[in-house]
Amino acid sequence: MSAAYVPGPDVGVTVSPDGSTVYLAHLPEGPLLVLDGVAALVWVEATTAPAAGWLERVAATVSRSAGDIAADVDTFVRDLRARRLLEETGGEDLDG
Amino acid sequence: MATHETSEATDAAASVPLEVRIGFAHASAQRVADRCGADVLHVKGAALDPDLVPGRSYSDADVLVRPRHLQVLMDELQTCGWELINTFAFGSSFEHSATLRHKDFGLLDLHRVFPGAGPTAATAFETLWAEHTTTVLGGVDCAVPSRHAQVALLLLHAARGGSDPKAAHDVQSVWTSADDEQRAQALDWVDRLDADLAFSVITGTLDDHRDHPAYDLWRVAARGGTRLEEWRARVRAAQGLRAKLAVAGRAVLVNVEHLTLVRGRPVTRREVAAEFFARPARGLREQVAGRRHSVPSERR
Repeated sequence: MSAAYVPGPDVGVTVSPDGSTVYLAHLPEGPLLVLDGVAALVWVEATTAPAAGWLERVAATVSRSAGDIAADVDTFVRDLRARRLLEETGGEDLDG
Repeated sequence: MATHETSEATDAAASVPLEVRIGFAHASAQRVADRCGADVLHVKGAALDPDLVPGRSYSDADVLVRPRHLQVLMDELQTCGWELINTFAFGSSFEHSATLRHKDFGLLDLHRVFPGAGPTAATAFETLWAEHTTTVLGGVDCAVPSRHAQVALLLLHAARGGSDPKAAHDVQSVWTSADDEQRAQALDWVDRLDADLAFSVITGTLDDHRDHPAYDLWRVAARGGTRLEEWRARVRAAQGLRAKLAVAGRAVLVNVEHLTLVRGRPVTRREVAAEFFARPARGLREQVAGRRHSVPSERR
């Protein structure tokens, strides 16, 4: 059972103890990046197994339907992938 | 929903907790070491087993490198955003570490030797490396000494901590309050690391080692001393005439790197000159004060 996404190969990750903030660093050179609030929630769920239903888990946490948030989450995930912060695992993505 | 690059937003950088930045400093150093084939061990600070001294604070990342890999690692770090701000010669009286700074990750102390561990830097590293394990720092597997070796290193570090309350707390946590089995494990590593001299500070038996070339170095580190006493100790500890002359020569040079760090900007020629003339005078004043202070006891 795998997650939908994994951090990029040159990305270090630290999640705050309460899970509300995710710190990312391109290694070894930097920069350091910060994900807060819903952005952190999307990261955590996208990189947590199982891949199936990860978008629904995000939606449930923010008390919305998956359909309501899918477009925004997709844009955000595309941005993370463009920055080489996230990579697909072959599990369920937003279209799956 | 967006990412914030701390390099581009000062407010965001300031909001990143220090321990997070230091964790990434360790991770960065490990990735650089992997890239250039250098063996490194992450010591103290964030790399310390959290059960040894719960809640222990730290302000930088400490990394010990296999001595023969030092130069390649130092060169590679500087191509990856790490700026050298203090070299080994001017780092401490033990000349054991250089300091580098990264705009995102903060400070890194690169150790070429762990003070007190021997008999040589290379053999001490190999002894530690032989039983190393890993811990995750900044999301990256980083090599660390075994738990019992970490206890020994923490005690050697405390041995040169003088009256620092943090050092005293470390000793209390891993030695004074340790049971017989834990002490035996620590002593085993002290023995393996040929660290009797430094460890004698912890047991209060340093003066049994008066004839050791590095005795004065540890005496000044543990009990304090004047600037002149420190430099005399460094000269005595240096092995060979050439090394002794090199140390003696540095005693009157000005550490421009340190001045730059302290003042937060490049120093001017006037400031360097002022520091050059101030240092011998400061050492002299301390020595005079020390002599005045010590005269009554000498007469007793």
